[in-house]
Amino acid sequence: MATKRRRNLAALGTVTLVGLALSACGAGGGAVPEATGDASEGTTTDEITFWDPYPQHTGGTPWDDLVTSCAPEGSTITRTAAPTADLMNQLTTAVREGNAPDVILLDNPAVPEAVSAGLVAAADQVGIDAAGIDENLLGPGVIDGEVYGIPFGSNALGLYYNADILDAAGIDPASITDWAALEDALAAVTEAGSEGITFSGIAGEEGVFQALPWFWGSGADLSDLGSADAVSTGQVMSDWIGDGYAPRSAATDNQSASWDLFLTGEYAFGENGSWFAAAAADSGFEVGVIPIPAKDGGVAPVPTGGEFLMAPVQSENASDHFANAAAVISCLTEGDKLLETNETLGYLAAKPDVRAEQVAANPLWEPWAPIVEGAEGRTTELGAEYVDVSARLSEALQVSLNAAGDTAQVETAFQDAGEG
Amino acid sequence: MSSSTLPARAPAGPRHPDPAVSPSDHPRRRRPSLSPRWAAAAFAAPLVLYLLLFYVYPLVQNFSMSLHEYDRATFVYGGAPFVGFDIYADILGQDRFRRIAVQTAVFTVVSLVVQYVAGLGLAVFFRRSFPLSSVLRAMFLVPWLLPVIVSGTTWQWMMNADNGVLNRFLGVFGADPVWWLNAENALMAVIIANIWLGIPFNLVILYSGLQNIPGELYEASALDGASTRQQFWRITLPLLRPVSMITLLLGLVYTLKVVDIIWIMTMGTGTSQTLATWSYSMAFGKGTSASIQYSEASAVGSVLLVVALAFGLLYLALQRKQED
Amino acid sequence: MLHTTHRTWWKTAIAMVLTAVMLFPVYWMVNVSLTRRESIRRGDLLPFDLTFGHYATVLSEQLPYLATSLVVGLGTVVLTLAISMPAAYAIAKLALPGGQGLSFVLIVAQMVPAVVMSLGFYSIYSSLGVLNTIPGLIVADSTIAVPFAVMLFTAFMRGIPRELVQAAQLDGASPWRTFRSVVVPISRNSVVTASLFAFLWSWSDFIFASTLNREGGDLRPITMGIYNYIGAQNQEWGPMMATAVVASVPTALLLIAAQRYVAAGVTAGAVKD
Repeated sequence: MATKRRRNLAALGTVTLVGLALSACGAGGGAVPEATGDASEGTTTDEITFWDPYPQHTGGTPWDDLVTSCAPEGSTITRTAAPTADLMNQLTTAVREGNAPDVILLDNPAVPEAVSAGLVAAADQVGIDAAGIDENLLGPGVIDGEVYGIPFGSNALGLYYNADILDAAGIDPASITDWAALEDALAAVTEAGSEGITFSGIAGEEGVFQALPWFWGSGADLSDLGSADAVSTGQVMSDWIGDGYAPRSAATDNQSASWDLFLTGEYAFGENGSWFAAAAADSGFEVGVIPIPAKDGGVAPVPTGGEFLMAPVQSENASDHFANAAAVISCLTEGDKLLETNETLGYLAAKPDVRAEQVAANPLWEPWAPIVEGAEGRTTELGAEYVDVSARLSEALQVSLNAAGDTAQVETAFQDAGEG
Repeated sequence: MSSSTLPARAPAGPRHPDPAVSPSDHPRRRRPSLSPRWAAAAFAAPLVLYLLLFYVYPLVQNFSMSLHEYDRATFVYGGAPFVGFDIYADILGQDRFRRIAVQTAVFTVVSLVVQYVAGLGLAVFFRRSFPLSSVLRAMFLVPWLLPVIVSGTTWQWMMNADNGVLNRFLGVFGADPVWWLNAENALMAVIIANIWLGIPFNLVILYSGLQNIPGELYEASALDGASTRQQFWRITLPLLRPVSMITLLLGLVYTLKVVDIIWIMTMGTGTSQTLATWSYSMAFGKGTSASIQYSEASAVGSVLLVVALAFGLLYLALQRKQED
Repeated sequence: MLHTTHRTWWKTAIAMVLTAVMLFPVYWMVNVSLTRRESIRRGDLLPFDLTFGHYATVLSEQLPYLATSLVVGLGTVVLTLAISMPAAYAIAKLALPGGQGLSFVLIVAQMVPAVVMSLGFYSIYSSLGVLNTIPGLIVADSTIAVPFAVMLFTAFMRGIPRELVQAAQLDGASPWRTFRSVVVPISRNSVVTASLFAFLWSWSDFIFASTLNREGGDLRPITMGIYNYIGAQNQEWGPMMATAVVASVPTALLLIAAQRYVAAGVTAGAVKD
C-alpha cells in the first residue's frame, strides 16, 4: 500500500516537473515584440494580413474585394475576421506570440487600452496620415497627444420610428425634442395599442453604448456616475420597462435583437445605429429617424461608433510590416477610395468633404450627418480608464433595468457605481 | 456477442496472482524479453506524453498566472510582479465570491440531480425495446448536436418575458408571465436550459450501464414475485452504482465548468453568475468585467480545480471501498 | 409475439410525447429558420411568414465548413482511440505502476477549462507552426475526449476476464498481439460509445476552433462558419438557425446508426460479479 502511494506521488511529481520545464521555455515563443521600426525604412512584402471585426463580410463580398484590392503591386492581402468582442484578445495573444497582423481594424473604445498595453504602434512610426479627419471622430485614436490610429468613418445612434404608428396616434416626430415629449409619445402609442420602444440594455460595452446618449443628454458626466443626472438616466430607462413601454428582454437584447423587435412593426420607436439605415428603407413599413433628444431639449451627444485602422507592434521586420500597413491604410482612407470604403460598410466618412458628397448622393444620410458631427468619443476624456467606468456603468444599468421603475434601487445602483 | 455475456461464460476458476504485484513469478510465465511492467509503461506512454504536452503546460501556466499580478501589457511583454497568494486572498475575501460560490453550488447540484434522475428514468424506460425505441432514443441526443450559440439563443427567445412561448404555455394554465431572464430568476432559467443540454449525456451512459445488468437477474426476481418498483431498488440501482458514480462525477466536472449556455442566455448577469462564467468574463474582459483580469480569472479557475480535485479524491475513495 | 408488440405500443406513445417535449427547442429552431427576418421575434408557433431563403444561403455558403467538421470529427475519433485504448489496457490489465495516480490525473484533466487549454495550445502551436491547420485542430479537439475515453475503456477492460487475456499470453502472444486480437475486438461496444462522444465533442467545439484555427479560411469547422452571420452590430439569426438544422442532419443520421451499437460499453467491467 505504502509503496503504491509513493509510486503515485512519484508519477505526479514527474508530471509537474516536466510541466514546469515546459512552461519555462514555452512562454512567449519566439522574439519579444518591440516598439521599434519605421515604415519609411521598410518595403512591402508578398503577404499582408488584415484583421477586422466583420465576419459577415465573407470572401467575395464587396468589403472583402475592397480590402484585397488595396494590396500594393506584387502583394496579396489575407483578411481574417472575428466578432468585435474577441478581436482585442486575439490581437493581444497574437502580439505576444509574434503573429500580429499587418493591419488591425479595432473598435474605438478598445483603442486606449490597446495603446496602454503596447499593442499598437504610433501613427508617425507607421506613416499613417490623420490630416483632414474630424477632431471629434479622431478623438479615441489620440492618446496623450499622440495619434495611434485613424477612423475612415463613423456610425452613430439615432431614434428610428415607425411612421405608421406615430401617424395613427397623431404624433409629429419632429416635436420630440426633449424627454417629456418622448414620454408623452410613448404613453400615446401604447394607449393606442402599439408597443413603445426597443433598445439594447445588454450587459457590457454594447449596452453602455446605447445608454450614453441618454446619459450625456441628461447632463451627466462619466467622471461622476453617482450624480443626480446620472441617476435620472437609469431612471428613465428603468421606467420604460416598468411602464411597459419597452420589452423586458431589453436587459438581455443586443442591438441586433433590438432591431429584430423593431422590425416586427409592433414598436413605435427603436434606438439603433446608422448601420441599419439602408435596411430600414427596405422594411415593410415606413421608417424615419430623429436625433435622440436631450433631457431638457436639443440633441443629445451620441458616442462615436466605428473602428480604427492601426498597425500592431511586431517582433520581427517591423519596418516592413509598417510599410504594408501604411500602404493598405492610406489606400482605404485617401482619395476616391474613402467614399467607397464608407458606402461599402454603411458608414459616414470621417472627412467632411467626403461626407457631404455622401449626403448629396443619398438622402438616407441626411438625418445622420449632424448626429455624427455632434458625436463624442467615449474614451476621449478618460482614456484607458474608460473600460472600468464603462463596466461600473453597465452594472448600474443592469440593476436599473431589472428594477423596472423602482426608484430606490436605481439610485443605490448608480451611487454604488459612483463610489467605484 | 454482447459483452454482458462475457463474465458469465468465463470460467470462475482460481484467481491467478497479478503478475505485476508478485514479480517473482513473471520469469516463469512470460517471454523473458519484455517484463510486464515495461509492457504496461509502453502501452501508457503515448497517454502520459500526451498529458504532459497538452495538459500540464496550460495547468502550470494557469497556476503561475494566479500568483503574479498580470495586466494586458505584462501578459504580452512579461515582467508581471510575483504576489504569492495575494490574489487568492483578495478573491476569497470578496462578498461577491461567496454569493457566486453559492450560486455555483445551486447551479451544479440542481442540474446534476435533475439530469441524473431524468436520465435514469429515461434509461429505465428505454431498457426493454419497443417499437421505434432505438430511433426515439437517438432523437433524445439531438440537443447535443446543435451549436450552443443557437440552442442558447433559442432558449432565450422561448423564455422571453413578453411574448415567449414558455410564458404563453404557462398562461394556458392561468399562470402569470415569468420574467425568466431578470436578475432574480436568471439562475433558474439557465439551470433549466442546462438540464436540457445534459440529459443526453446521462441517458447514453446510464442506458449502456443498464444493458450490462444481466436480464436473468430480473427474470429470477420476477419469479420470486418482486414488483417492478422492488426490482428497481434491489437490482437496478445497486448494480448501477459504479456507472452512477462515474456519471455523477463527470457530470459534476462538466457542470462546474459550464460557460457557454449561461453566457449566451444572460452573460452571467444577476443570479446566473457562476465561478466559471465569472472567471471567463475576467479572462476575456467581457460582460460587465470590461477590463481584463488574467490573474483573478486564473485564481478562480484554480479554485474550481481544487473543488473538482476534492470530488475526484472522494470518487477514488468510494471506488476503492467498493472494490474491497 | 403479437401480444407483446401490442402491449408495448403505449410505451411508444409515451416515448413520442417525451421526445416531443425534449425536442421542442429544436422545433423552435426549425420554425425560426423558416421565418423571414421581419417576423422572427414575433414568437409565432408556426412559420407564417415563410421563407426558404435562409436555407438557400446556408447551402451555398456552409458546405465547405461542414466537410471540414466531418474530417476533424473523424480524425479526432481515430486519435482519441489510438491514445486511450492502449493506455486503458495498461491501467486495467497490466497493473501499470502509478495507474491510480494516472486515473486521478485524468479526472482533474477534465476539469481544466477549455479556455485555459486553448491559450496554452496557442503558444505551443505558434512555436511549432501548426496554427490554422486541420491536424492541429484534431489534436486539440482530442484533448476534450481522451481523458473521458481512458476512464471509459479502463472501466470496461477491468471487466474482461483475466483468464481470457492470460490464455492468449500462454499461447505465446506478445502483449501487443494480445491487445490487438483479444482486447480490441471484444471492446467493440465501448469503442462505439467513446467514438460517439469524441465525435460529438469535436463537432460542437468552438473555443479551440476560434483560437487555433481562426485564420483557416474554408478549413474551419461549422461552429466557426456560423459566425459568418454575426457582424459587429448585426446578427442574422435565420441563417444561423438554418445552419444548425442543416449541420445536425448528418450527425443525427450518424447517431441513429450508432445507436444500434451503443448498447453495452461504458462500464461493463465496473459491474463486478
